[in-house]
Amino acid sequence: MDVVNQLQRQFIDYSASLHREGFLDDQFTQLQKLQDDNSPDFVVEVASLFFEDCEKLINNMARALEQQQGVDFKQVDASVHQLKGSSSSIGAMRVKDVCIAFRSFCEAQNREGCLRCLQQVTHEYSLLKNKLQTLFRLQQQILAAGGSIPVVE
Amino acid sequence: MAPTLPSGDQASDQDNWDNGRLARKRQLLTEIVLRNRLTALVVDGDTTCRVLEQLLLRSYGVQTQGVDNGRDAVALIASGVKFNLIIIDMILPVLNGLEATRQIRDMGVHCKMLGVTACSGESERQAFLAAGVDVFIEKPLDPEHLVPILRELDGQ
Repeated sequence: MDVVNQLQRQFIDYSASLHREGFLDDQFTQLQKLQDDNSPDFVVEVASLFFEDCEKLINNMARALEQQQGVDFKQVDASVHQLKGSSSSIGAMRVKDVCIAFRSFCEAQNREGCLRCLQQVTHEYSLLKNKLQTLFRLQQQILAAGGSIPVVE
Repeated sequence: MAPTLPSGDQASDQDNWDNGRLARKRQLLTEIVLRNRLTALVVDGDTTCRVLEQLLLRSYGVQTQGVDNGRDAVALIASGVKFNLIIIDMILPVLNGLEATRQIRDMGVHCKMLGVTACSGESERQAFLAAGVDVFIEKPLDPEHLVPILRELDGQ
């Protein structure tokens, strides 16, 4: 089996595993379909944007939850809400799911619950970041070998 | 006067004249092409979402503009800029989406407005519709929801 085929096979299998394990949902597939010759790095760029946003929002949440004088749960909720929106827009399903639980704890003004969710969301975000970096690396290798990126349904 | 070749770094009057005509021709062509195109305004405080929604719209040939807060959205509409479609989030900096929507409608703007938000509650849906959006969509904005709306606008 030639190099391109091997790499493409790896890419397909890895993509499938990310969907199967719930890291990515159909929204991500839709984004990949939008990528074309006019915008070949679109998905990578959007993912970078998302991770930048993620880090900012997670920092905001952490700062707000640290306040010993009294947590402003509305502030925490605003950041979680934003993260829910952007994660669902990019197809980051597991991150989005944590946000949904996180919002309930904000509503209940439950600091412990919020802190647990913050830990979870930080964990999911780093996992996703690593996995997408691997995926994008595979993409680069395929292109470097002269192949095209297969579309995974 | 016969066209002269450009002499070094100084562009001649003839070049400027030719370039001017070319630029004008290009401008007219762009206007003609764009006249038949749909235009959309995306109002979202979150960079990722705003960029994604604009890119999605552009992939369907819609010319888009983006603003990241409610006040700028209202100001833009108030300045007279027309759009076929406005995509607006509920929670926005400076001026929230509900109030921005109300103000835009109060100006007599009748274009299609989509409330696209991470909010998923029934009360939020009712509130956004009452403020004046035509459709309430829970994020993410996907082709399944967007395409029928674009087709409808195209057909008008």
